[in-house]
Amino acid sequence: MKINLFLKVWLVLIILTICTALVSNSTLVTSIAATIIVVLSVIKFLLVANYFMEMKKSHSFWKLSILFYLSIVMGTLLFALKW
Amino acid sequence: MESHQINYKNIAYPPGGILMWIIIFLELFTFGAALIAMVLYSKDEPEIFHQSKLLLNTTFGAINTIFLLTSGFYMAKSVENFKHNKTVKATLFLKLTMVGGVLFLLLKSVEYYFKIQAGLTIGYNTFFSFYWMLTLFHVIHVVVGLVVLMFIYVDLKRKSDINLEDFEASAAFWHMCDLIWLLLFPIIYLMF
Repeated sequence: MKINLFLKVWLVLIILTICTALVSNSTLVTSIAATIIVVLSVIKFLLVANYFMEMKKSHSFWKLSILFYLSIVMGTLLFALKW
Repeated sequence: MESHQINYKNIAYPPGGILMWIIIFLELFTFGAALIAMVLYSKDEPEIFHQSKLLLNTTFGAINTIFLLTSGFYMAKSVENFKHNKTVKATLFLKLTMVGGVLFLLLKSVEYYFKIQAGLTIGYNTFFSFYWMLTLFHVIHVVVGLVVLMFIYVDLKRKSDINLEDFEASAAFWHMCDLIWLLLFPIIYLMF
């Protein structure tokens, strides 16, 4: 059921947001915490794009474009953070 | 009742329309480039960036994330109901979507008020220059998104003919505000 799917996605998004806040307040090494925060953001981004924006149903060109964007921007961000 | 249908597998018809997705990618690349620049600038002044980050209210940022994600959820539900010609439900969910957006703006205004009171304005240091430019630019998008949703809402209330492409394009613009915030919040509020 689609209705339940949206609700499940929303719940996962809220849980991931709480996890992000917890990781940022944890005593983890900064570079590890930063990597986890970026990975959680990527997951949330993909959930919103694929389910709320329904890009999961779109042509693979659009799905690959989103993955391309995330790998370029988040990859560069992680590289810049650790550099 | 006949429901609306678009063949999304066609490369020219992503949900929201090809022009909206060109805009979305342009916006995402602009914010992405600015965030990369912010991280690169932080390398020159790591201590200033760290101390400045501590002056931000992470709780406000997290609550605002929840407001936008919840608003996005209602937007998705509104589109879903509109596709099945359930106009009353679509209108209700659209109203809830806008409430989420207004709550986001209210909390952001409170946050801005405290920052200005503390003298943490755009010229305070490099971190706050990025903070103001990026978050204000995002706020402008949220305001524009709310205006677009308001037009759709009025049309729904008047029972005017709204085609699915227009409804989905408006929804895609609103979700874009979520996507941008999902990049801004962790980098600006949590990273440094």
